[in-house]
Amino acid sequence: MRLLVTGSAIRGLPVVTTSGGEDVAEVRDLIYNPEAGRVVGLTLNKRGFLAGRRREVLPAQSIHAIGRDAVMIDDADSLVLPGQAPDEVGAPPTGRDVTGNEVLTEDGKRLGKVKDVVVLVGSNGEVVGYEIEPESGGTGYIPLPAQLAVSGSALVVPDPTQDYVESDLVGLGAAVDEFRSRLGMK
Amino acid sequence: MSERFTAATGRKLVSRASAEALGTLSHLVIDVPKRQVTSLVMGKGRKARLVDWDEVSGFGPDAIMIADESALHEPRDDHESAAGGGKLELVGKRVLSDMGNELGAVTDVVFDPASGAIETLVIGEQEVAASSILGVGSYAAVVKAPRD
Repeated sequence: MRLLVTGSAIRGLPVVTTSGGEDVAEVRDLIYNPEAGRVVGLTLNKRGFLAGRRREVLPAQSIHAIGRDAVMIDDADSLVLPGQAPDEVGAPPTGRDVTGNEVLTEDGKRLGKVKDVVVLVGSNGEVVGYEIEPESGGTGYIPLPAQLAVSGSALVVPDPTQDYVESDLVGLGAAVDEFRSRLGMK
Repeated sequence: MSERFTAATGRKLVSRASAEALGTLSHLVIDVPKRQVTSLVMGKGRKARLVDWDEVSGFGPDAIMIADESALHEPRDDHESAAGGGKLELVGKRVLSDMGNELGAVTDVVFDPASGAIETLVIGEQEVAASSILGVGSYAAVVKAPRD
């Protein structure tokens, strides 16, 4: 059983220092690398309503943990200007937004469209699934293998994924490990 | 005997030299790495005055004894200003685990009135050992995650 959270729930979370208990920023957006299945960093806003954007970014390796209620960092030095961050974070390549991409299985079945990423709570940005809009409408959640093929408009997932389309995050949290071990056994 | 922050709040601070009550305790400030009460705050806002723990000669059940009025001082640095302004008051403060999950709010702090050593943080029904406290700031107190 794993605790999971969607990208949209991470946006707006306070970024809090573990050593100081201060809310130094809040999450503006996630910088996602779809090939790696990882959030590689976060862009930031100042704290407070309409306080505006912060120039600094937060590379994932400086994140202590992404939780349900806050993103924890050691101290404010973890926030760096884009020029001081790894290129992937400071100047990420374009075309990495997977929102709206079609999800196709290896045997050519369409599972739906990507709505959001699903992140493992307590990790520093491990993406374990996607929130999708299935053909039938509504919202579904699919687990991801460790790596997958992505183009600008579609991503291809292993066939067994279609057996693990869950209706909520709790279901996905329970399914992730089983899904991955099934893939590993093949 | 242990003492609790909520029980100590409102207690008189008395000058040993003049036997006069100088005011009442509004809250206590702790040093996180040392797990110690470092100062007592009397009054609020701009009128706040601090007393260093070392100046306390007796933290009794009915009164807190200090040598004399000269032990009261205005905030001397940013940390003490934040403390005087009430920003570091522990009781009522949000508690986050270092995994980023909210555990509730601090309901009380248990300490040793003889040494000022912090013993436990009480968060509703839960108790967290002082050794698990990682940081206290204006936004939250951060503690090592219980297995969550």
